[in-house]
Amino acid sequence: MSPAPLGGRSRRGLIVSLLLVLVIAFGSLIATLAAGWSPKLGLDLAGGTSLVLVPSHKVSNAELDQTVAILSNRVDGLGVSGATVQTQGNQIVVSVPGVNNGRALAAELVTTAQLYFRPVECFANAYTTPTAKNAPANPLNLPACNSAYELTAANINVQQAPNTVQGYTSNNIPPDPQYDVYPSTKPLNDNQHAEVLLPGAPGSGSERYFLGPAELTGTAVHSAVAEQDQTGQWVVNCTLTSSGSAAWDSLTKSLFHQYLGIDLDGVVVSAPIIQPTQTSWTSFQGQVQISGSLTQASANTLAIALNYGSLPVPLTILTSETVSPTLGHSALVAGLAAGLAGLFLVLLYVILYYRLLGLVVVLGLAVTAAFLWALISALGQTSVAPSFDLAGITGLIVSIGITVDSYIVYFERLKDETRSGRTVRTSLDRGFASAWRTVVAADTVSLLAAVLLYFIAVGDVKGFAFFLGLSTILDLFVTWFFTRPTVVLLGRNESLTSMRGFGIAKGLAVGAPA
Amino acid sequence: MTDSMDFNELEEEVTLETEVTPEQRSHVNAGSRLYRGLTTFDFVGRRRTWFTISAVIIIAGLVALGFRGLNLGIDFKGGSSWQVLAPGVSQSEAVSAVTAAGLTQPTVEILGGKTLLVEADLNSLSKADQAKISANVIAALAKLGNTVPNNVSSSTVGPTWGGQVTERALLALLAFFLAVILYISFRFEPKMALAAFLAMVHDLLVTVGIYAIFGFQVTPDTVVAVLTILGYSLYDTVVVFDRVRDNTKPFAASGRMTYSAMVNLSMNQTLARSINTSLVAILPVLSVLLVGAELLGAVTLQSYGVALTVGLLSGAYSSIFIAAPLLAMLKEREHKYVAVRNRLTAKGQKAAVTMSPQEAARMSLSAPAANTGGSSRGPVATATRTVSTSTLGSQSQAPVIAPKPRKQKKR
Repeated sequence: MSPAPLGGRSRRGLIVSLLLVLVIAFGSLIATLAAGWSPKLGLDLAGGTSLVLVPSHKVSNAELDQTVAILSNRVDGLGVSGATVQTQGNQIVVSVPGVNNGRALAAELVTTAQLYFRPVECFANAYTTPTAKNAPANPLNLPACNSAYELTAANINVQQAPNTVQGYTSNNIPPDPQYDVYPSTKPLNDNQHAEVLLPGAPGSGSERYFLGPAELTGTAVHSAVAEQDQTGQWVVNCTLTSSGSAAWDSLTKSLFHQYLGIDLDGVVVSAPIIQPTQTSWTSFQGQVQISGSLTQASANTLAIALNYGSLPVPLTILTSETVSPTLGHSALVAGLAAGLAGLFLVLLYVILYYRLLGLVVVLGLAVTAAFLWALISALGQTSVAPSFDLAGITGLIVSIGITVDSYIVYFERLKDETRSGRTVRTSLDRGFASAWRTVVAADTVSLLAAVLLYFIAVGDVKGFAFFLGLSTILDLFVTWFFTRPTVVLLGRNESLTSMRGFGIAKGLAVGAPA
Repeated sequence: MTDSMDFNELEEEVTLETEVTPEQRSHVNAGSRLYRGLTTFDFVGRRRTWFTISAVIIIAGLVALGFRGLNLGIDFKGGSSWQVLAPGVSQSEAVSAVTAAGLTQPTVEILGGKTLLVEADLNSLSKADQAKISANVIAALAKLGNTVPNNVSSSTVGPTWGGQVTERALLALLAFFLAVILYISFRFEPKMALAAFLAMVHDLLVTVGIYAIFGFQVTPDTVVAVLTILGYSLYDTVVVFDRVRDNTKPFAASGRMTYSAMVNLSMNQTLARSINTSLVAILPVLSVLLVGAELLGAVTLQSYGVALTVGLLSGAYSSIFIAAPLLAMLKEREHKYVAVRNRLTAKGQKAAVTMSPQEAARMSLSAPAANTGGSSRGPVATATRTVSTSTLGSQSQAPVIAPKPRKQKKR
């Protein structure tokens, strides 16, 4: 076989390739460090709670996506930062970093979400912890509103023009202070037929609502969409189901010119006044528009809540796992220590075996490591890559073998070439050509495995496959752009080749007495 | 590298005389011979030995599998587990503490002398009881670890989760097998695909068998590790087969040696690489097992470490001792190679004659097909080689054996 033509065999081409790789690798590493980016650690390393949920019956992808959207809303509503909700096959994985509310969260998420339409009986202030003197006997037993604060049509006295005290109302009815010492009703206790005390949506202020029993649930809504009206105001347009339409009409007729609370999972996401611009009630004919001080974001949230308030399908918890930050940290330390110890042994071995060429492996691994750190950190800023967990670390540790093997394949080919009587110098290109074919074939297999695992398997497998695949691709890149120029340039240097004890020739057993 | 192996019996098979005489060779240890490309192990000829070793392990594993089954972790059976860092707590202290908290038949394991791992199955209890007992266990473990409940890890698994992981993993495995068979058939040849596939099945059986024999716990992480191992084993096989493919044309297809001998030669040529790569791969994995799991007590690392170590050893073994001999067996049945073997046997040459990589390198350089590049500045250019008639045929094969005067290449 004749040596395959290799691009950039000129000395200049090789040096340019080598310098470029070094600059890109260490440049991107420095840039990453300067930007303060670091790998996004998985829950098993950072600590946190993860849940795997599965729909109780088969659902379409669209329904699964809806479910994820609702769960994301709920998780966001809990005010935890960095939480993610993702699908994985037909399963949903919820990850919440930090354990302070992890176990409670698990309970909250599985309670089936409910959307209730409730009359707002009166407003309430934020909860203040009661003193011994004014503590209610039973905080769960909510008293009725005092008539002065009751939100009756007469008290509110809706005017038809939006120029009054609170939008359309002509009286400013303050919150009923008797509820100050009552805590909000927990989502778990948000019973359809009971009176409840609920907070507003996050970010909507500290005002709370005392609401009557729900006469209508989210099942009445067929679809809802957030739109801008002619004046550019954000509104939410709903279409009701045929049975929902009749029930809606009877509810709104009895609550004409009063507040209707939209209660989603124990949070009042909106409390509009019914038909404030009309003097008398008219049938909604199954079409409802909710307007007034909505932003694009709040309109969208409301539309989603109305659309899918209750999950399209009940979920069951397949697994729930909570890792404490201390255990996570000790696992991270163990993983890194294992990796470094293994790496050290490997490097020691290749230096003893291949001498100067062993140093090329050391530098090559440093280049690979720089690339990997920069890539993993950069990917950690996006949601593309799986987070870096213990499975991922193991994937990287396994890839040490595959990466170093590319060097070994090349060096052993060089040995073969020199055995046939060639000098090191004349073996370099030929040896690389045949080694390159081997490396490509073998890495393709490794990559095949990684890609298939990544797309088919579930759980930890994904992270493992991702980082294994990433380092395999890097291996091909580094072998071509770093190993080839470095070895070829070193091999052409006569004094480095024949250096006593440590030279390339010594590492390849060239001229060794048999 | 082990120097204690005895290769003396193999010396007899080295029949090609070069500058290195057998007498000289016997003074050189095995590691050094490997280093210089002087090995002539008959991998193919001894296939019965290798196959028997594997068969014994696999059968023992299957028997254990039949009688004891696999030690499935809670991810497969369903159940709960808790973890806490509690240095210095003894097994019996831990067992009595969690039993007092309401667990019946808990399994308690202590990793690295400090990570306490408790497992129990609560799935038969009501949700409320499960939550209550779990909270009690967390409190008890926090007390043992002298820490707060938030520092206790917990995990609850429904009985169907592990099944789903395995189902997807098996699906991935099937897809992987199919893709690999197609890739190797296309890039190499179908018989190599078959041999590589059988070697992978071998690794799968050996790993499962070892797990059954020693009762190691199977977790979803184990499944991950086994998949990786198969990928790695195949990677290793592909490297060897790549060399076989390179050698096929100049050595076997040209009728110079039997297919088996050519495979032997290829194996010897890649032997140093195989050993080095296996070492380089196994060092980090052993480090995962010993440093990560045993010394530092990371539970997940233990699940990976055991499977990876068993699998890597099996993978390295199967590439050399299963895949390559199988390939030789399959190929020797082809008419072309039957003819080669008959012709060489008729000439009185042993069918499984072996040649060291060093000799092959010189030979390939002297062969017309390979005589295109390279320089003659090495010591070989002036070396004269005499060939005994019992080895590589008669003088009629002159172009192959006779030292061919080479032109001094102009530089």
